[in-house]
This record gives sequence, C-alpha cells and structure tokens, in this order.
Amino acid sequence: MTHTNHEIIMSGNEAIARGALEAGIGFCASYPGTPSTEIATTLHELAEDYDIYVEWSVNEKVALETAAGASWAGVPAICPMKSLGMNVSSDFLLNLNLSGTGPGGLVIVVCDDPKGHSSSNEQDSRFYAKAAQIPLLEPSTYQEAKDIVPYALNLSQKYQVPVVIRSTTRLSHSRGLVTKGAIPKRNWSAVQLDDGLFNVPTPHLKHRDLLKKMEQIKETFGESLWNTIPTKKDIDVLIISSGISRRYSEEAIHLLEAEKCDILNLVTTYPLPKNIVKAALVRAKRVLFSEEVDPFVEERVRSLAIELNNIPEFHGKRTGAIPAYGEMSTDIMREAIARLKKIKFNKIEQTDSDILIPRLLTFCAGCTHRNFYWAVRKVRKRVKDKLVVAGDIGCYSLGVFYDRAMTTMQAMGSGIGVASGLGQLARFGYEDKVIAVAGDSTFFHACIPGLINAKHKGANLTFVILDNETTAMTGFQTHPGAIHQESNLNRVKIEGIVKAIEPDFFARSDASNIPELVDLLHSTIIKDGLKVLLLDSICRLEVARREPAIEGISFRIDNNLCKGEKCLICVQDFACPAINWDSTMGCPEILEHLCVKCGACVTVCPHDAIKEEKIE
Amino acid sequence: MRNPFNILVAGVGGQGNLVCGRVLAEATVLSGLRPVVGDTFGASRRGGSVLTHIRIGKTDWAPLIPKGEVDILLGLEPLEALRAASTYAGARTITIVSQTKIPTVASTGKITMYPSLERIFESLNKLCKQIIVLDAEETLTQIGSMKMLNSFFLGAMGALDESPLSLEVIRESLQSIFGFESVNMTAFNEGIKATRLC
Repeated sequence: MTHTNHEIIMSGNEAIARGALEAGIGFCASYPGTPSTEIATTLHELAEDYDIYVEWSVNEKVALETAAGASWAGVPAICPMKSLGMNVSSDFLLNLNLSGTGPGGLVIVVCDDPKGHSSSNEQDSRFYAKAAQIPLLEPSTYQEAKDIVPYALNLSQKYQVPVVIRSTTRLSHSRGLVTKGAIPKRNWSAVQLDDGLFNVPTPHLKHRDLLKKMEQIKETFGESLWNTIPTKKDIDVLIISSGISRRYSEEAIHLLEAEKCDILNLVTTYPLPKNIVKAALVRAKRVLFSEEVDPFVEERVRSLAIELNNIPEFHGKRTGAIPAYGEMSTDIMREAIARLKKIKFNKIEQTDSDILIPRLLTFCAGCTHRNFYWAVRKVRKRVKDKLVVAGDIGCYSLGVFYDRAMTTMQAMGSGIGVASGLGQLARFGYEDKVIAVAGDSTFFHACIPGLINAKHKGANLTFVILDNETTAMTGFQTHPGAIHQESNLNRVKIEGIVKAIEPDFFARSDASNIPELVDLLHSTIIKDGLKVLLLDSICRLEVARREPAIEGISFRIDNNLCKGEKCLICVQDFACPAINWDSTMGCPEILEHLCVKCGACVTVCPHDAIKEEKIE
Repeated sequence: MRNPFNILVAGVGGQGNLVCGRVLAEATVLSGLRPVVGDTFGASRRGGSVLTHIRIGKTDWAPLIPKGEVDILLGLEPLEALRAASTYAGARTITIVSQTKIPTVASTGKITMYPSLERIFESLNKLCKQIIVLDAEETLTQIGSMKMLNSFFLGAMGALDESPLSLEVIRESLQSIFGFESVNMTAFNEGIKATRLC
C-alpha cells in the first residue's frame, strides 16, 4: 500500500483487508488460494500492529469453522477464500446459515477466478449465497471493496447470518486509489457462547427463521445506496451490471459514444433489491446484463420481471448476447452494445499469429518436481506404459503439461481419493500400476481421509508426497508441516502421520537424486498393497528467498560428447528452463543466469556430456 | 493527454512487470492523475507470459485495456511484445521493444523454434504505428544484470515525446522504491539515452 496525502493505491484484495481493519475485525482465518491470498497475507502482516489474530488454517472448512467459533464468542471474524475453497467449506456453511453466527459477526470473502487463470475451474460461487440463503455483496470498485467490509460485518452482527462478499480476479488483482477511513476502538471482548447453536431436531424451523431474516434484508437492500441508479431520462438500453463488469460497461459506452445507454450497478446482488430493480426496469426498453461468470443477476431479474406489466427485452448470457463462459471485458461489452444499438466500430482482429509460439508454464529451473516426473517417465517405460498417475492441486499440477506425467487432476486431495478407487479395480481386470501424487500443503488440506480410506480398504497403490516444506504455489505460506514456523506454531510432521496409518511400505527419499529416485519408484510400484513415498523436495524460489546463490561451480555441455540434434534429451524431454537450444550453433547450452546449479541434468544426459566445473 | 492514456507492459515472469506497474502508478499519482493497474500475475512465477495494464486518467477506468487502445507498449521481451501487440495494439500504438530473447521451454516433448527477430519486428511494425527497438544487453550487463531491464525501459518510455508522465515523476517514484543510489537509477538514465539516440 503506497501513501499519498489523501488516497492510497491498493489492490482490491488490499482494500478488502483494510476494510476488515476499519470494520474492527479481530479474527481472520484463511487457506491460501489465488486470487484471494493477499487479503489474509495483508492482515497477517498487520496482525501485531492491530492486535488481531490471523491464521493460515489447514483448509477452508477448518478456516470457516474457526471463524464461526470466534463469531459465536463475540469476536468479529473474516474468512477469505478462493472459489474452490468455498466448495470445501460448504458443508459447514450450509449448517452455519441456520445456526446463526452469534454476536461477533462473520464475513466470508470469496474470490472467483473467471477463465481459471490460476484455478482448475471458473465456477461462479454466488450460487452458495442462494443455496445457503445468506446475503451477497459484490463491490465494483477498489473503494467499495474497502467500504463494503464494515457494512457486511454490521449486517452480519444485526441478523446473525454469515455475509458473503464476492470479488473476481480483475478486482482482487488490479489496483487503484482508495481513501482510507478510521480504524475503530475495540468495543468487544470474547464472551460465553449462546445456547442452541445447532439445528436439530427442527432444522425446518431454523430455515423458516432464516427466510424471515432474508425478507428483512431484502427490504434493506431495496433502499441501499450501495447500488448505483441510472440517471439518464431517456433510456433505450439499460445495462444491469455487478462487480468489476461495471467498469467494462462504463468504458464500452464511452468508447462507442452510445446514446441512451445507462447503467444500474448492483452491489447488493442477493437477495435482489426488488424496488430498485423494478424502478429501473420500467424505464428501459431493452436490458443488457453484464456480470461474471454465470447469469446469476440475469436470472433473478428475469424472474422478478414477470411481476411487471410491460416486460423489457432481455439480452445477456441466456440469449447469447454475452458469452456464458470466460471473463468479461470492455471488448465483450462494446461488441454487445454495438450490436444492440447498431453502431459500427473498427474491430481489431488478431493478426500474424503464425509465428506466435506458445510460452507454456513449466517447473522452475532446478525444481525437484521435474525430477519426480522424469522418474515417472522412466518408470512408465519400464512397466510398458501400464501406469496411471492420479494428480492433485499445487505447483506439481504442472505435471499435466509435462509429457503424460499426470493422468488426472481435479480437486485438493482428489489424487489419493481417485487412486483409492483405481486401487480396487484389479478384480475387474484393471492392470495399471496406480500412483497418486500430492504436495505437502495439499496433504494436510485434504489427503488424510483418502489415505486412511486406502489403508482401511487395502487399496493397491503408491502415494507419493512431494514435500518441499512450504505452500509454494501461492507464495510460501506456513502450513503445519512447513520447515519455517513462527515461534507460536507447532510443527506437525508428515512422516509421523503417515507412519501412524501404517502403510504396507514406507520410504523417505531425496528427490534431487534422479537415478535413485527412478529405481525407488520402480521397485515400490511393483510391490503389492499401500505404499507411501515421502520425497524430500526443494522449492528453488523458497531457497532463493533465504540462501545466497551457489557460487564457485558451473555446468557446461561438452560439445564433443553431445550428440546434438540426434539426441535432444536434455532440451526436449527433461526441459529445464536453464537449458536452451542454440539454433545457430545447433547444440544445447546452459543459461548461466537461470541455472541454479542443482546438477540434475548431469545424470539425465546419456552421453555424459554435461559436466560440473569449478570456477575461480 | 488522452483520457485515459494506456500503457501495456509485456514480458515474462521474473522480468519485473509488476514493478513497472507500481512505478508508473505512483508517477501517475504524483502527476495529479488517477491510475488503475491490472496485472496478470498468476503465471509470473512459472516463466509464463505476463501483462500489466496501466490506465492513466482523470477518473478510474477498467483494469484491462480494450483491444486496439494501447498508446505505449513496453515489450520487455520480443515474442511477448508481439503476443501483446497482436491482441491489444492499434493505430496509435508506439512500441518500445527489447531485442533480448527469453527462450521458450519445450515441455511438451518438442522444441518450438523461436521466430527470428526480423520476423517479429516486421510483424510488430504492421501492428503498430511505430516501433523502437532497443538493445539493452551490453549496457545492462556492464551495470549489473538484465534484471534492471524494467528500469531501463521506464527511462526509455519517459524520454518519448508522447509520454504522459514526465521523466521527473517517473524518476521520483522509481527512487522511492529502489533508493537514490540503486543501479536501477543508472539503468533508468541509460534508458533515457537509448531513446534519445534513436
């Protein structure tokens, strides 16, 4: 956050974190996940200054449960998470809504990732607000992202329901000017819990009570100044926007100089502010919806419109005027408005793309995950391709781009779960050796039940844990097994947990030794029963943060031994970013500025052409 | 100045796109204008393409530059400059592009041949109003390393007649991040020289 006299440049996520402080929040629990991570990171950094409690929980469900505990005890709480994290927390959420959140207040922030820039899907998490019958707020500017948090907390305290704030990647990860507000003096302390914080034996009556609260909240939203009302007198096309799509809509109107176009921007999107929407609908001939990702507001407005005498013409994701998938942009809005208003504009089409070769994501130079997948490739050959790898979520998910190293990759912890099923199929003639892969943070997040299931049911599989002792993908957050722990935290070792489950075979090995890794993986997968390999792995980015670069040695390729174009194993198959194909010389070269001197490539070259050298 | 004025920074993860965005946003505030900076940094740590959209205006604009609306494109890497230009460049785009390649990695089991610089610049020329090719490698290697390419490019951009931000404000905001004595300031000054020699 950068200071000026009046305003500060903040990302949407930093603004939400600042809003949490201005709301007087005392408790934050989160699990890292793009694009939500920076909210809890920012609060973490400020925790001491403002005497608040912030934790990286083991997963989003635990995070929401800890935050609910705080709220029940009168401590205002916030729980930020990414879209897919909401799925993990949803079992608890769909009970908490009925039980109520107690006196503290609980704000859930969910950051969706349209187009899946850093996610395995592009889900619209707003449906959870509808499923749980709880209020939903969608800030559309950086200022609103900050200011909405105190409002959300107040709402939660007043009605004792969890309140959801929803952002998307482009709001969370872009920056603009925000005017700060004051941070209030603390007016709460932890108290004993109320009685009856459960839903049995009459959950339907709790549901009835929740619906009553939502009716009242709907009235409040119907007069809410958070929503921006169209001001033009004569409206041909009314755009109903929410979230960052508001800015795309405004800019599209500006670029097209479209007349008689105005915007109703909704921040209080669920329950829909009926009065405001109705008042705007009766003034418009045509309505165009602008939102990410699903037609959430669109569908609610459509069902509200049946109460009107004259229903306007609706255009949106339901009619194909706007794509019902992917990210919104000014370009999409410009095209949709231009089509409706019959305005011509110069469309820029992508040209000359034949030389645009892709730049695929890959493992960092020296990443030991590459060594593991290299071993998988070797072992796959040895077992004549009778091998399946059930993957998981983390940096090592990049294995999907690395040859055919990973066969499946869905949700946190689903690798061991899927493998646990595959490991039962020999009775039906399934012949492949089954491997499941997970990282250390993912192990704690969601793998333990799957592993216990595999043990209990006697599944025949090999579970490989790539343990680099940090949450590398999202920026090195602490997890229970992380090597660097703050002084108040207790380390929980993966090895102890795995051994307690008593697999049929357990080995711990070093992922930086490729020849040993290949043999260990091969000898392990051909054994019967539940096998677990714990591989001590290295995140080079984490190492670079803490240790100086290795000096005094260098790696080079001996061109007399290198078979050049006839081989290409180091460049094409092993594919470390520090090995480049020099097309003018017709040989591979090691890029000194990228090489981390791990030496992994030395054993990969079948011609002993890669040499370690001492340098003065 | 056009409202908004749009600067797009294209590079590869690790080249310092984010710092470019930070510096230009601060410089915008120092100029009494409002910045909006949109980053795609999901892939930045893994050697992927990275884009930073900088909108400079009297009011706040959307976090992504619309297609064809780029005023200045800073191409920290030739192929990435072309990738960005092919989507975002238009009739008023001035592109400053580095001629130092960052090779792509063949992780799908076959080498994709990096196109020749001549072909890249030829395509860029077709897509943009003007292109300025800069060779920063020798200068920056002498000063320290190619890591300062972003500071070099900020100087090169500030020295353009078309720059909406003065060299003074860009210098001030760069200094506030790196400090007065940083080699980044030397790289910045070298960038100014490079544009003036063009």
